[in-house]
Amino acid sequence: MSDAAAIEVRGLRREFRVRQGMFAPPKHVIAVDDVSFAVPAGSVLGVVGESGCGKSTLARLILGLLEPTAGDVLVDGQRLSGMDRRARARLIQPVFQDPFASLNPKRRIRDIVSMPLIAQGSFGRAEIERRVDEALDRVGLSRDQGTRFPAQLSGGQRQRVAIARALVLRPRIVVCDEPTSALDVSVQAQILNLLAELRRDLGLTYLFISHNLAVVEHIASEVAVMYLGRIVERTESEALFATPRHPYTRALLASVLTPEPGLGVPDVGLGDIMPDPANIPPGCRFHPRCPVALPRCSTEAPPLVDDAVGLVECHLVDVEAAPAHA
Amino acid sequence: MTALLEVRDLRVTIGSTAAVRGTSITVNKGETHCLVGESGCGKSISALSVMGLLPRGSKRETTTLRFAGEEIGSFGEKQMERLRGDRMAMIFQEPMTSLNPAYTVGSQMTEVLRRHRGTPRAQAVDRAAELLARVGITAPGLRLGQYPHQLSGGLRQRVMIAMALMCDPELLIADEPTTALDVTVQAQILRLLATLQKELGLGILLITHDLGVVARIADRVSVMYAGEVVESAPTAALFAAPEHPYTRGLLTCVPVPGKVRRDEPLGSIPGVVPRVSPGFTGCGFRDRCSQAHAACSGTIPRQTVSDGHELLCTLAPGWVAREAA
Ligand SMILES: Nc1ncnc2c1ncn2[C@@H]1O[C@H](COP(=O)(O)OP(=O)(O)O)[C@@H](O)[C@H]1O
Ligand SMILES: Nc1ncnc2c1ncn2[C@@H]1O[C@H](COP(=O)(O)OP(=O)(O)O)[C@@H](O)[C@H]1O
Ligand code: SF4
Ligand SMILES: [Mg+2]
Ligand SMILES: [Mg+2]
Repeated sequence: MSDAAAIEVRGLRREFRVRQGMFAPPKHVIAVDDVSFAVPAGSVLGVVGESGCGKSTLARLILGLLEPTAGDVLVDGQRLSGMDRRARARLIQPVFQDPFASLNPKRRIRDIVSMPLIAQGSFGRAEIERRVDEALDRVGLSRDQGTRFPAQLSGGQRQRVAIARALVLRPRIVVCDEPTSALDVSVQAQILNLLAELRRDLGLTYLFISHNLAVVEHIASEVAVMYLGRIVERTESEALFATPRHPYTRALLASVLTPEPGLGVPDVGLGDIMPDPANIPPGCRFHPRCPVALPRCSTEAPPLVDDAVGLVECHLVDVEAAPAHA
Repeated sequence: MTALLEVRDLRVTIGSTAAVRGTSITVNKGETHCLVGESGCGKSISALSVMGLLPRGSKRETTTLRFAGEEIGSFGEKQMERLRGDRMAMIFQEPMTSLNPAYTVGSQMTEVLRRHRGTPRAQAVDRAAELLARVGITAPGLRLGQYPHQLSGGLRQRVMIAMALMCDPELLIADEPTTALDVTVQAQILRLLATLQKELGLGILLITHDLGVVARIADRVSVMYAGEVVESAPTAALFAAPEHPYTRGLLTCVPVPGKVRRDEPLGSIPGVVPRVSPGFTGCGFRDRCSQAHAACSGTIPRQTVSDGHELLCTLAPGWVAREAA
């Protein structure tokens, strides 16, 4: 699979030292812990999990905005570490949650979109203008909107600007970190439809992060569920939603409130202990919240079950899978 | 059913913005009424009007603002202060709106009771501990001594709910109480609100932009657009047969697992919520509406679809069914 993979990460790990106050020793936060996967070109890997589980850290590692503590990132078959910044920018681009924070308020939209081209240092004026027009057009912004400032646009239009800027170098891969989380549902739908259309038309590969499982289900071909820095389940999208196997995946799915009246609010069964990346529990890191934990879950790390359905790290799944292997 | 809160024809102008334009809302005892709509539709301003907490420079007019049978529209700040936190309480999306970072959870919770009821300290502490346990916080004794920043977002939201309940309010107004939380925590907090309501007979006015939340928790729904309630109905009726083009549009935008195929686009509403000025006439939604026609620039009739189901639109109730036939 390796040669077809647009993104491949191997044993990826990232720690942070977090100061606890004036006198306490700094703590180690393991934000991403031994993560490996490959995303085939042209597909969409959705990444879900609660806040603080390491989604944005993973995105920034893959974008080369953060150095891994250990492990490798390969983009389009090439090692990211040591790759020239400009070459990297031509391959992979980000779209972040808050378009307002990521757009310079003092610059006009056209200038913002042209920045990646100018940074390359190899494009002539005419080519830059042509590419900017093309990118604005692709995302549904008019020439007139190109002459405005970010504050003069709506939230949805600003996210279109961020997408145009990501596309202007014609990258193969786009990393979307909660691209619709700050938007109203009607605008979210517009942006999701646009991203889907762009992927089809341009043959893009996405790493698509969201805390909204319904959004991920709509756009992703495969879904990775993260918990405290690890991917605890990774399965093709339809199978994951039809038969989630990890108890955490099940809890996440159960907590999606679909607009169906009469069902009430589900009991997710997770209790009120919150995960803390500075204090990762021994054994299975999910065990303190797991409604179906076995005795061994608090002491033994679960093995990775990798079968026809997908990948899961859970003792329960291992027990169920065992007879089939025997 | 007795109306706990009755708001008739509420209008709020802030500078040159008509933030709320003739909204009527009734919340019955023991009932959850959800206000839903995109941001900027006037949900928060409607709620703040009831609490007497409008931003400076707002002008409020209303024909009726009745709480527990008493007209409170003419109440001054002193009288409102006595009601707030006592018989009506409000919780916000951001718990730190209500929590003071400089004081412990315990001292803030007991202060509410001491101010409104003059309850002795020891008794107030007992009540605070009891309520923290009630909202599902383990080790309430420990939490009472902690500062807000020492708690997770979900815990803070629970503390805020417990604090809102200190004086046994009859009405709870919750403005996007779970919007900033993880879905897992959101489910826990909403379950808690539903349980508390059943046990305490609270009336709840819950503001959200999430139709999933509405479907699961509301008894009645009012859909707001550009400062008006454009459709209002019992929850089951609204989801079974939405009539307003805005309600219908919103529903098609929501991704529902298993409902829309991956290669098919979601429904969407073009454009954005307009900011409307006081002289505005016609339907506020007409620029985005797929059904708009000439009459939509005139006076829009408020029509009855069925018992308790109201529609503010030029289309005749039942148009959806007729069109499908
Ligand atoms: N620059 C940083 N310095 C210290 N800790 C960080 C930094 N970035 C992220 N973290 C920590 O790493 C963990 C994962 O964070 P993040 O990747 O942002 O999660 P998510 O995007 O899933 O919410 C959190 O505990 C967070 O506090
Ligand atoms: N403090 C304020 N000053 C001026 N305008 C405001 C203020 N608060 C709200 N508005 C305006 O009032 C309208 C309704 O806002 P709001 O009630 O906050 O909407 P919602 O809660 O539905 O998102 C919007 O047009 C908004 O811009
Ligand atoms: S009044 Fe007209 S524009 Fe407004 S929602 Fe109804 S049909 Fe659409
Ligand atoms: Mg993040
Ligand atoms: Mg609001």
